[in-house]
Amino acid sequence: MIIILIYIILSFTLDGLISTYLNANIIELSYLTTIFSIISIVIIYDYFENQKKYLLVIIITAILFDIVYTNTFLLNVIIFIIIYLIIKQLDYYISNNIFTINIKSLVAIYTYHIMTFIILLLTHYNSYDMKIFLNIILKSTINTIIYTTISYLILKKIYYKFYEKKIK
Amino acid sequence: MKKNKLQTKQVIILIIILIFIIIAIFSLTLKEDRQLNKFESLIKDSVVSVEKIIFYPFRFVIDKFEDFKELINIKEKYQNLLPEVSRIESLEAENIELRKQLEAMKEELSIDYTLNQYSFLNATVIYRNVASWYNTITVDKGTYNGVEVDMVVVNSQGLIGKVVSTTTFTSDIRLITTKETDNKISITISNGENKINGLIKGYNYNTKYLEVEGISNTETINIGDYVYTSGLGEIFPSGILIGKVAEISTDEYDLAKIIDVTPIADFNDINYVAILKRKEINK
Repeated sequence: MIIILIYIILSFTLDGLISTYLNANIIELSYLTTIFSIISIVIIYDYFENQKKYLLVIIITAILFDIVYTNTFLLNVIIFIIIYLIIKQLDYYISNNIFTINIKSLVAIYTYHIMTFIILLLTHYNSYDMKIFLNIILKSTINTIIYTTISYLILKKIYYKFYEKKIK
Repeated sequence: MKKNKLQTKQVIILIIILIFIIIAIFSLTLKEDRQLNKFESLIKDSVVSVEKIIFYPFRFVIDKFEDFKELINIKEKYQNLLPEVSRIESLEAENIELRKQLEAMKEELSIDYTLNQYSFLNATVIYRNVASWYNTITVDKGTYNGVEVDMVVVNSQGLIGKVVSTTTFTSDIRLITTKETDNKISITISNGENKINGLIKGYNYNTKYLEVEGISNTETINIGDYVYTSGLGEIFPSGILIGKVAEISTDEYDLAKIIDVTPIADFNDINYVAILKRKEINK
């Protein structure tokens, strides 16, 4: 459990740290743009047997993401829960390996951006067009694959070296 | 079978109601001026403090690396700056003379304020547009340091945005490169002789220009003219450089000019900013 928590905290802090070295302008995003917290919740799914605990971890991460990074209320909580439901469904049909975990991470990241785009559009927060949306999706892809691959391999190695059971 | 159909209908209606409620909540909470409550502020300040400690070694190493990169190009930069340095002394002398004249005129006219009086508060950027969508940056100064909502934020190049929310030790700044802004920025276009006032209505993501409206077609504006804040709105003080005129066109009725402005600030590389506080006006 400690390893998993450290991994989530590390991913959450990486979101803040990496952002200070990437482009801030929405139209000129870096190719290293991604959301590490979302990737972490995809990766850790396999290590939880107790779904309630997993959901609790997701909700706490989402609340912190709302408060610290986006200054929003419940927006990320709802999107993260939707991502949880999608991961759950995907996991039912596809078992995890290095390739499928990347697919799941990309689905989660794309879901986040699609949901955010739709909500911001419906609430007239800012009228972004499809070009910006596709740009964000495109720029998020590379680093999502890199971080997913690295963290999947490292976590798998560490976890199965020290722990054998899933979190109950 | 009938019971099943009824249950499905009820679930669909419930989902639709839920979606409407969620959108209503978001419409309220996504407002630009939403302030974090005390509990949220406490959490944000705590997380930021912990992250600062975790970040410190990383930042130290990366900053040293950046310093090294700067050193490599220092000779070239020095050569480029030499002509500018020789101009500084004459500009300084001109500046002193203008200040004297301004003070004398203010005394003559009994004016105890101008729209460009403000104090600076330097801050470091701790987050830049996390999650990509919100066009905001977060800095390490908050209400404890005297920051308030709507204060203007500049970097070494010019205007970058305004404070939209604060906690005790942090502030969120919305960049001017936002498509639609609630507070239109009142600007002055200056070409040395004439000063023309207009309003920035927003940022065009396709052209990457700030769009200025409210300028008569009879006014003379040239490409390359400087665009400053005019100080006529309630928020932005006067004299802050925003950008340069890049393109000039007219509206569909040929009555007004539409000016496209290239922002002077580099929004991709904002590490340090200054928050401006306009001095109180004694009426």
